[in-house]
Amino acid sequence: MEDTELEISPAPSDQNSPSLSISSSSSPSVSLPSTPSSSCGSTQPVAPLLGVINEGVCELSLVIDAEVAQRACHEVLQKVKLQQVGSDDVTDLHEQTDPVVPGGPSGPIAAEEEAKPEGLVPGTVKSTRRRQKHNPSKQSWLLRLFESKLFDVAMAISYLHNSKEPGVQAYIGNRLFSFSHEEVDFYLPQLLNMYIHMDEDVGDAIKPYVVHRCRQSISFSLQCAWLLGAYSSDMHISTQRHSRGTKLRKLILSDELKPVGARARREALTLTPFCPALPHSTATTAASGSLVPDHGLSPSKRTHQRSKSDATVSISLSSNLKRTASNPKVESSQDEPVRLAPQREFIKSLMGIGKRLATLPTKEQKTQRLISELSLLNHKLPGRVWLPTAAFDHHVVRVPHTQAVVLNSKDKAPYLIYVEVLECENFETSSVPIRIPENRIRSTRSVENLPDCGMTAEQRAGSFSVVPNYDNDDEAWSVDDIGELQVELPELHASSCDNISQFSVDSITSLESKEPIFIAAGDIRRRLSEQLAQAPTTFRRDPEDPSAVALKEPWEEKVRRIREASPYGHLPHWRLLSVIVKCGDDLRQELLASQVLQQLQSIWQQERVPLWIRPYKILVLSSDSGMIEPVVNAVSLHQVKKQSQLSLLDYFLQEHGATTSENFLSAQRNFVQSCAGYSLICYLLQVKDRHNGNILLDSEGHIIHIDFGFILSSSPKNLGFETSAFKLTAEFVDVMGGPDGDMFNYYKMLMLQGLIAARKHMDRVLQIVEIMQQGTQLPCFHGSSTMRQLKERFHMSLTEEQLQLLIHQLVDGSMRSLTTKLYDGFQYLTNGIM
Amino acid sequence: MSQLDKKAGLLRRTSSSKKTLKEKVVLMYDEIFSKEDPAKNAPRFWDELFLMKVNLEYLELKLESVDEEVQHSQANINALFHYCIQALGEEHPIKVVNALQTLCALFRGVHQKNRSASGFDIINLLMGFDKAEQRMKDLMERLDSLLCGEGSESLKSLCLKLMLCLVTVTDNISQNTILEYVMINSIFEAILRILSDVSSKHLHGYDPVVLLALLVNYRKYESVNPYIVKLSIVDDEPTLDGMGMVIQQALTEYNRQFRDKQEETQGGFFSTLTSMVGSMFIADADEKLSVQTNEAILLALYEAVHLNRNFITVLAQSHPEIDIATTPTTNSPTTPTTPLGTMTPTLDMMNNPELPLDPNLQTTNLLITFLKYASILMQDTKDEHRLNSARLCLIILTCIAEDQYANAFLHDDNINFRVNLHKMLVIYLMVEFIVTHMMKDFPMDLYLRCVQIIHKLLCYQKKCRIRLHYTWRELWSALINLVKFLLSNETTLLVKHNIFHLALLVVNLFNMFITYGDTFLPSSNSYDELYYEIVRMHQVFDNLYCMVLRVSTNTGQWKEAASKVTYALVNIRAIINHFNPKIESYTALNHISQLSEEQVLEVVRSNYDTLTLKLQDGLDQFERYSEQPKEAAFFKELVRSISLNVRKNVSLNTMSQDVLLKEFSTIS
Repeated sequence: MEDTELEISPAPSDQNSPSLSISSSSSPSVSLPSTPSSSCGSTQPVAPLLGVINEGVCELSLVIDAEVAQRACHEVLQKVKLQQVGSDDVTDLHEQTDPVVPGGPSGPIAAEEEAKPEGLVPGTVKSTRRRQKHNPSKQSWLLRLFESKLFDVAMAISYLHNSKEPGVQAYIGNRLFSFSHEEVDFYLPQLLNMYIHMDEDVGDAIKPYVVHRCRQSISFSLQCAWLLGAYSSDMHISTQRHSRGTKLRKLILSDELKPVGARARREALTLTPFCPALPHSTATTAASGSLVPDHGLSPSKRTHQRSKSDATVSISLSSNLKRTASNPKVESSQDEPVRLAPQREFIKSLMGIGKRLATLPTKEQKTQRLISELSLLNHKLPGRVWLPTAAFDHHVVRVPHTQAVVLNSKDKAPYLIYVEVLECENFETSSVPIRIPENRIRSTRSVENLPDCGMTAEQRAGSFSVVPNYDNDDEAWSVDDIGELQVELPELHASSCDNISQFSVDSITSLESKEPIFIAAGDIRRRLSEQLAQAPTTFRRDPEDPSAVALKEPWEEKVRRIREASPYGHLPHWRLLSVIVKCGDDLRQELLASQVLQQLQSIWQQERVPLWIRPYKILVLSSDSGMIEPVVNAVSLHQVKKQSQLSLLDYFLQEHGATTSENFLSAQRNFVQSCAGYSLICYLLQVKDRHNGNILLDSEGHIIHIDFGFILSSSPKNLGFETSAFKLTAEFVDVMGGPDGDMFNYYKMLMLQGLIAARKHMDRVLQIVEIMQQGTQLPCFHGSSTMRQLKERFHMSLTEEQLQLLIHQLVDGSMRSLTTKLYDGFQYLTNGIM
Repeated sequence: MSQLDKKAGLLRRTSSSKKTLKEKVVLMYDEIFSKEDPAKNAPRFWDELFLMKVNLEYLELKLESVDEEVQHSQANINALFHYCIQALGEEHPIKVVNALQTLCALFRGVHQKNRSASGFDIINLLMGFDKAEQRMKDLMERLDSLLCGEGSESLKSLCLKLMLCLVTVTDNISQNTILEYVMINSIFEAILRILSDVSSKHLHGYDPVVLLALLVNYRKYESVNPYIVKLSIVDDEPTLDGMGMVIQQALTEYNRQFRDKQEETQGGFFSTLTSMVGSMFIADADEKLSVQTNEAILLALYEAVHLNRNFITVLAQSHPEIDIATTPTTNSPTTPTTPLGTMTPTLDMMNNPELPLDPNLQTTNLLITFLKYASILMQDTKDEHRLNSARLCLIILTCIAEDQYANAFLHDDNINFRVNLHKMLVIYLMVEFIVTHMMKDFPMDLYLRCVQIIHKLLCYQKKCRIRLHYTWRELWSALINLVKFLLSNETTLLVKHNIFHLALLVVNLFNMFITYGDTFLPSSNSYDELYYEIVRMHQVFDNLYCMVLRVSTNTGQWKEAASKVTYALVNIRAIINHFNPKIESYTALNHISQLSEEQVLEVVRSNYDTLTLKLQDGLDQFERYSEQPKEAAFFKELVRSISLNVRKNVSLNTMSQDVLLKEFSTIS
């Protein structure tokens, strides 16, 4: 069974290119089904062509499942074809041209719908025609909806999930091609979960799209493989092994899904005038406006593009070879670089570290071990590896291992690492940066550690070539070295604007003039206390909580500091990223929560209600490992309280200034808006385990909830604590200015607005959760009423007045709730969290 | 002759028969030492010779007794040397092995006999003057290609042993004239290659590092030694790492042995350290491990730190603690090396360095290991070797304390993990040393170095505004106790040492704190505590002042040294004279007999403003370390001692023939 699967798999891919090459010749008229020009007259000549394609498609579907083709309604199939033609080579085009359609979509589409069934029926299989007649009105309504520009990914996903009609599912499967990658990517967990757990028709509808995207992108491939693994894990082991999800995962990881062009690339260049376009090249062609002349132009453009990317590939290949030549140990066994292997190995090593850390008893040992493991990892970098949580293409070049910290956790060992990357155009094709040895730091840091000489160091580094000429620099070095400590050079101090260094100048001048210079002991003492007071409020190092210090340091400062110390720091595309590596934790719930947060965020943005939340990226690697994008410039309330020993309000005053200052007011506003956002989230998702260690406070006053391990139907240890809707302590209310203040009313108003907005788009939220409920053992779906209860919390039946009352009750309840307090006490007793 | 017979490997040792059966190889040796050309009658003589198992002892003994017949057998010896070199190029590894061993015996034997002879005579005897240059060039080239080739590691190991043997044949390495050829035909790159190679590094132990350290010391002050030059510019990460790791292994092994021996008894004076850093320093009393053998390793570390700027980074590279005893030559857990430029197809690199899953495994780095080692060494400096090693340790620390990058690393506050204890560790170590070595046989030299290291660290901290969260009080009281000791042993110490120099350095450390405390003290309280400590111990300073005043007013050899101390004491005396009356009046006013610390601090705090201090010159300047001329004699002696030790311990027999034969049996 598996063998056939593997053999089969290239088929759809081969399918793609020939069918496309055929269609391309006629595409000027066909590729845009929604344009008014595609009238009866113009569809007729297309028909024979479609027939040709049809055969191809039939083959394709036969390969997947013979029945699908028969069952598929013809009209939909035709649409499919048109869409596929349109989407496959001009994926982004659809979106961009839609608004251009004059007179709104409804008219032309309606006309088209009327025209098409008539025009196409003669050429179609009779059985499907009969099927179609069976429910004609529904189909056409659906079709109208599907064709309309209102039809977005959310709807597609929802129909894919709800519709039992294979034709519809197949149609939507193909319709997926027309959405932008980002839009679909948001629903990837849903898509794949459906693929794994729903019936075959849905799976068959989704697969071509997934396979297509996998061919295009390494990161998409890995993303799919990871998610498929994670969401298959709850199946029984026997079914899991033969499940569709597992097979697709194997297929992806076997690296069979190379880009279509990879093998036939050279032939494609010479033989076929058309080749599947790279997304950005199509974007440029689409942007140039009209289609017909563009088509004439595009091949040359595309070949140009292609040859360029070919060149980069060959460059990176040759550099690989060069490297292996100098290092006979690394044999290059294949001509092509393995697509997925570097990244998989990178992730694997990070996970391996996490697993090994978990065996160490003390936090200090863990930290120590982590650092040395990472320093080893560094020896394998740079590579064609990247952090999946990042928003831009890059190559990882270095892990500043000494900056890594082990996070607070009782028995697992999540850790936070910073990662130096070089931004690049496309991590798959851009060449991997050359390694710069660690000890080069010395040459770039000649005036190292003079705090106020940052600029000079930067400048020196800037003029530095990638492979520095060592000898020259060595000379420069020896000069500094002798000069610096032995005799303090006055110029050095002239540039630094502090008063203390005045002494060293004095001490030199006094050599000449033998006049004794007197200093007041009181001045020295005073300067000492001034200096210490000036120092920014940093947290004191605590071996039991190493992350507190690391997280308190402002991000910009950290970036600057690490950049200065890095051998890659001088490169213009240098960026710093960070990531939390979780090993032994199931992040699927986190991912679900993150999706809901993102959805609500976009809903609130759309409805223009200023609730503030900060969803963070979650990467699920398996059912018990993953990565989390850390929120920068934020520390937990627990750490704030422990380090500052102040109440939250006093801490706000300390950090942002007096209650009337602008800084404080804006921080307070941020606090209120974020509190409102997260209060609603906590209520809707029933987020539990809300102790101060799980609530962050950022440098602008926002609170950010993290750790969504207990949501919906699950609660920690089922202790029955935390019965309040959300966490609203007296301290929170104090920061808002007390229960009678304007800001507190603003808070309640925001919640009301937020709830009304969320209610309006409830389906978009429910859908995310509902699909993920399939085939899962996640504790958040424990019991049978999870979805019903979630739906109920949106209170569709209430009037706005009633809603307002509800909010009041919720807020009052939470404020008065003793359980919150109790829960904090419980946490303190068990986990030492304040 | 009977002794020779014995060495010749009698087959029937107990037999009373006079006629003994000699090994074939012995007979062949005898032929070489005759007048005749051995190949005259047996054209395949040399070929066969290298197929025979070498009898090292016999050959060496034969060479020693060659004296009278030098003239006539020289041609044959030259020929033997020549054919040895030729045999090194043979395909057959057995021949190569035998040739290497024969060469070793040649070098040794010739030198043992002719200890007094000039280097030129020896060269002449071995290779003949006219041919010497060519022969040595060939030899070095052959060795180089053997070391760099893909051949057996045992062969490489043997090559290294031969080199060690050659380098240590004379007591004074600089008198080993043959090394001149080793300078011209450098095998530096080959040694580095061995060091950078993950797989071979562990097989060869310390040999490559020791060899390098010794070669660097060949006529280092008199001529341009290419090994010095080359070592100073190495910047290849894997190589430096490899070197660091070999050194670390040796020191770790020593530390481990020490710990094993002292498992039970907990040392008193290192308990602070132990509590600070957990199990890092496990200290104790008397042990006599091979400190001597480690001299060579320390020398290598010194040369690397002193000569090579890039090596400092290696100090900080953290590795898991390697225990050679438990994890022998397997492909070690710590194999960073070979930078994997890209994540190319074979990603075995990624999987390999999975560290062993031993929670007890301490991660460490060379610097920590070195500090541990130093702390163990410094506990007992009575033995001369230990004293020398302790001195060398302090010299290395001096170099580290002067290096900008090392300092940056030592003081990097952002390094999470106990690395940030390093900086304190160095000071801890120094303080412990100060406290524990005030004895009759006063190690003045070590004390000077120790105080200077502290000074250098303070200068760096002052310059870069680094505030260590260290309780400086410990240092102050250690220093005050030191002054006290100097005072009470003035007469005995003055016979041997210039105690005023040390006193001046100590007083200037206080001056650093007094004048520049604002730039590096961790809290304003600590500045108050400094004054408190000075006032509390004012008697010591008073006595010191009296003493130096007395000496400086007399005429004598210490006059000038003492008067410097008088001047340096000016601020300390000002502080004492300023605060003492204030404290007295406070006591009187409040009718308290004994002031508490808090009360004294209160007095100090409220009376700063009326105190004026004098700015002293050059407190933050120091003399940079330079090996020549000050330390040259020390290093000469050290290298001599190392040479003797290495010569004694290098044995080609450890690489037993059996092992080699076994290894090559498949080939032959």
